[in-house]
Amino acid sequence: MSLYPSFARPNSLAQASELLAGLSGGSVIIAGGQEIMPHINHGAMQPDIYIDIGGLKELRGISEADGVVSIGALTVHRELQGNAIVAEKLPMLADAASRAGGGRQVHNRATLGGNLVAMHPLYDIAPALLALGAEVELVKAGETRRTSLAALMHETSHGLGSEAILVRVLVPAMAAGTGWAYEKLKLSGGAYGSANAAATVQLDAGRITAATLTIGAVADRIIDAAAAVQGLIGQAWTAAAAEQLELRCPALVKQPLSDQQGSGEWRQAMAGVVARRAMAAAVARAGQK
Amino acid sequence: MADHSTIDDTRYVGQAVRTIEGRAPIVGAARYTNDFVFPGQLYAHIVRSPHAAARIRRIDTSGALKVSGVVRVLDGAEAAAHIKPITHYIDPAVFGGKSAEVRVMAVDEVWCYGQPVAVVVAEDKRTARFAAQRIQIVYDVLEPVLDAEAATAPDARIVVPGWDSNIMMQAPFRNGDPDAAFAKAAHVVKTSVDIHRFSTQPIETRCYNAVWEHDIEGVTLYATAQNPHPLRHVLSEVLGMPESKIRVHAPVIGGAFGMKMHGHPEEALMCLLAKLTGRPVKWTETREECLLIGAREQRHHMELALDADGVILGLRDRYFANVGAPSACPGWGMAFLTGLTMPGPYAVRDIDVQMTVVITNKPSWNAARGYGKESTALALELAIEDAARQLGMDAAEIRLKNFIRAEQFPYNSPTGLVYDSGDYSGAVLKAMHAIGYEGWKARQAEGPKDGKYIGIGVAFELTPEGGALPGTMVAGYDSSSVRVAPDGSVRILTGVTTPGTGNPTGIAQIVADELGVTMDAIEVTQGDTTTCPYGFGNYSGRSTIVGGGSAALAAQQVRAKVVTVAAALFDVPEADVELHRGVFSVKGQQGRTLTFKEVCYAAYTGAYSVAHGITLPLEATATFKPSNIRHTPDENGRINPYPSYSNAAYVTVCEVDVETGKTKVLAFAAAHDCGRVINPVLVEGQACGAISFGVGGAMFEAIAFDSSGRQLTRSFMDYVMPRSEDLPAVKMVHHDSPNPVTYMGLKGAGEAGVGGSAAAVVNAINNALIPLGVSLNTLPLSAPNVWGAIQAARKRGQREAAE
Ligand SMILES: Cc1cc2nc3c(=O)[nH]c(=O)nc-3n(C[C@H](O)[C@H](O)[C@H](O)COP(=O)(O)OP(=O)(O)OC[C@H]3O[C@@H](n4cnc5c(N)ncnc54)[C@H](O)[C@@H]3O)c2cc1C
Repeated sequence: MSLYPSFARPNSLAQASELLAGLSGGSVIIAGGQEIMPHINHGAMQPDIYIDIGGLKELRGISEADGVVSIGALTVHRELQGNAIVAEKLPMLADAASRAGGGRQVHNRATLGGNLVAMHPLYDIAPALLALGAEVELVKAGETRRTSLAALMHETSHGLGSEAILVRVLVPAMAAGTGWAYEKLKLSGGAYGSANAAATVQLDAGRITAATLTIGAVADRIIDAAAAVQGLIGQAWTAAAAEQLELRCPALVKQPLSDQQGSGEWRQAMAGVVARRAMAAAVARAGQK
Repeated sequence: MADHSTIDDTRYVGQAVRTIEGRAPIVGAARYTNDFVFPGQLYAHIVRSPHAAARIRRIDTSGALKVSGVVRVLDGAEAAAHIKPITHYIDPAVFGGKSAEVRVMAVDEVWCYGQPVAVVVAEDKRTARFAAQRIQIVYDVLEPVLDAEAATAPDARIVVPGWDSNIMMQAPFRNGDPDAAFAKAAHVVKTSVDIHRFSTQPIETRCYNAVWEHDIEGVTLYATAQNPHPLRHVLSEVLGMPESKIRVHAPVIGGAFGMKMHGHPEEALMCLLAKLTGRPVKWTETREECLLIGAREQRHHMELALDADGVILGLRDRYFANVGAPSACPGWGMAFLTGLTMPGPYAVRDIDVQMTVVITNKPSWNAARGYGKESTALALELAIEDAARQLGMDAAEIRLKNFIRAEQFPYNSPTGLVYDSGDYSGAVLKAMHAIGYEGWKARQAEGPKDGKYIGIGVAFELTPEGGALPGTMVAGYDSSSVRVAPDGSVRILTGVTTPGTGNPTGIAQIVADELGVTMDAIEVTQGDTTTCPYGFGNYSGRSTIVGGGSAALAAQQVRAKVVTVAAALFDVPEADVELHRGVFSVKGQQGRTLTFKEVCYAAYTGAYSVAHGITLPLEATATFKPSNIRHTPDENGRINPYPSYSNAAYVTVCEVDVETGKTKVLAFAAAHDCGRVINPVLVEGQACGAISFGVGGAMFEAIAFDSSGRQLTRSFMDYVMPRSEDLPAVKMVHHDSPNPVTYMGLKGAGEAGVGGSAAAVVNAINNALIPLGVSLNTLPLSAPNVWGAIQAARKRGQREAAE
């Protein structure tokens, strides 16, 4: 906590990593600033050193190789919404990014990395990436590490934000014919989500062969609803299947959030509603090659 | 938007003239209070109580004083040694209530979460905030009193030491024989209406910058203040300085809605700090601090007595207003107005209304758009909806049956008000027509589709405006000066101010017509106690009524002067001189013209010739004082504090998703009577703004607390106001009944609509949910609350089926 913080803007990932390794704490990585600046302005955070990672070229760009889309951590929401590779290979990510609040100004600055590292339970991008099986590449003290986003979300020692840098997000391209949907329930136009669900599904002759489902904004961690979709495999998407799914999801919400986005009881019930709606929309979209 | 085709284009009045003050804020050139920075500027940071109720055991400021850059630290006790308690804007004692001593910072005890406890003044904002964390305060936390009705229990802890109860004021609004009305009623409908705490959030938060004037040993306060002159008076009392040594300068205001009416601790506190440091001291409110200012929280227990045909015979209401901790701001008065405005637009004579204003450990209220009249509309309109439902009547029909009829005006209300004019039934019918009422009813009759239920809501709001409370600085009159320079340019100075509503443009339109000049010749100055005539500022939809009315009178006087001079120059009788849009001409003599500028220059330079017959300069100050305000009590001790009674009908169609409880507003229409319309764009802007206030309040805006009284709503992430996607385009129709006593028939236009539109939404949602047996009169009707009510009704249904 300092009254007179310093500011650094390294030019390369190596330089940034070295800088972070040499600092003893009190430093903070700043990307688009959309998450962190309100905290700082509000006095909730008083860092000694700001490390602006805006100059790290390694954290930019979107490319595809071997069926994996690699997205730089500095990619802003607007790029996710408009990029051709993302639109073709990861349409659910583009959609989730467009559903984030804040409008154009925020979308022009808010980065993918910042959105993930914030680990905010109400944010929209992580549920979509988790449903897509994303991995992440981190650099800490000069060492590069790759891990699944799901594992990262449960880690507490990753050091992101002050010691480690999230470099890229790696997402398997969605297979042709995959049905997908991102469902977001919010109290009003300007509100954060109260319950979100991301679903993907593959159908063969009307039967579900594979499905993923995550539910966000209802608990302090994003819920992987794999257990709830398990029963759908091999089944057709019928009214009974939909009802089953809706009933199973609330049980996965052990400690629902209860805040100004809605009471815990309602959030828990809504986990089922958004899950069912997302899966229904994903099924409707599936197979349209 | 309404049809503006029937306008008289020889006059500015009535036309959608572009605002003269609108450009500066849009291009970023407006100078708001926070934009003023003076040499030697210091910044204050206020330390606020984290507890709702506590005794202050010890405050140690030494840590803060050690921080380099800190100039001064003050706690409540030290401030109290320098200045007096804050003078109440509307002293409850004047109306028979209890008046608490309100200090700028807590002394010994804190009354609510967020109450100022200490202040740090430093060379920059960050240092002040940093140092503030080094102030150590030891509190003995007390059990907070949070619910109004619970606070009136005999064993409730007393919030204000020395009081015998938490009731600040209790007052009846009674007329006729309500007990007899209830005795003969065919139906008695009981409805409890719980109006939650919601706020008004101007985008510009409050800011005060006090500059010590060493030369005169006085102070200038740059302030986000709606009422500069009355604020100056309060400061003079609190600081113990004559008003002549104090200047309040309120520059451009970025929204106010009542919140910037004074009595706030920071006003006098900044002046004191400027005096103690000899340097300018500024405080700018954070959004979190702005959200501390409460309003509207009321619980009504309504009873309507109706005959078999749905005619309302009598009304009872016991209502409790939770005004939070004592404050010198005028917020509590909202509760009084709620009762005074009963029974609104309905021709009910036998009423028994009792107001109970309760002090609790929640943060204090300040005035908020609607000023209690929105709560009257909510309570009444929700109760009437319940009555319609229980009697099996159409929601519109029951209202049409009970309205005061157009030919009954002026109408003496059972609480003593004298309604000037209106056609309430006509307004409802117009709004129903505008929305396509029958079409929606037919669509509703088709039944729900995909779990989405449609409901239609009708509501009405009567909004007394332009108020004057005896013995307070809430005055009914105001003054303006019109000054014409030798070059013919015109400056209007008014005692009224603008919170950004566009009233300077409306006033300029009036003056342009009355004086006979073009709009671009006019500048308007407001909000400065040193240059403007003494005035009462902005509240209660008054600024165009009394600001425009007084400016018109002043303009007429100046016009008489210039016409005299022009007549001398033309050498014709005054009656033959015409003046229109800056050009003088002579009746019947084509081609003989003089410009306004030529005549003005001739006047200033011809004091001993052409201007001999007039008093120079070309200036006049006039006052407009509506003649129908009556402060001498009638035989029942009642007064009529309002000159104008705006009114409007609201009809909305909402769709409820019963799976989630989420509501969507599909259509909205309003028929609005604000008397003569000076500028339809301004009026419709205000009316639409009020509707979005109402919709937001009815559906999602809420200030929440935890069980220990800590406020949970701290940012716009939690306090979410409507976005454009939350509202359909509003169909606005005018249904104007000119006010017989105001200038040109004006009524207030800025305040009305919050309660009527909120009630229409609530009624529409409940109307939609009739098939599910849901009736929810606890606001807000947010998705979780609606869903909860649906679940409860289902469980009730299952239980009943099982029995
Ligand atoms: C008005 C508003 C509304 C919003 N609504 C939504 C919404 O509805 N849904 C939603 O999903 N989001 C929403 N957001 C959040 C927004 O998407 C995030 O704030 C944004 O993505 C954060 O990115 P940033 O680059 O601004 O992060 P920053 O604020 O710069 O950083 C955020 C955090 O991440 C760390 N960090 C950033 N980049 C890296 C990196 N590469 N490596 C390691 N650590 C890093 C920082 O240290 C910091 O702790 C909203 C934001 C605003 C302002």
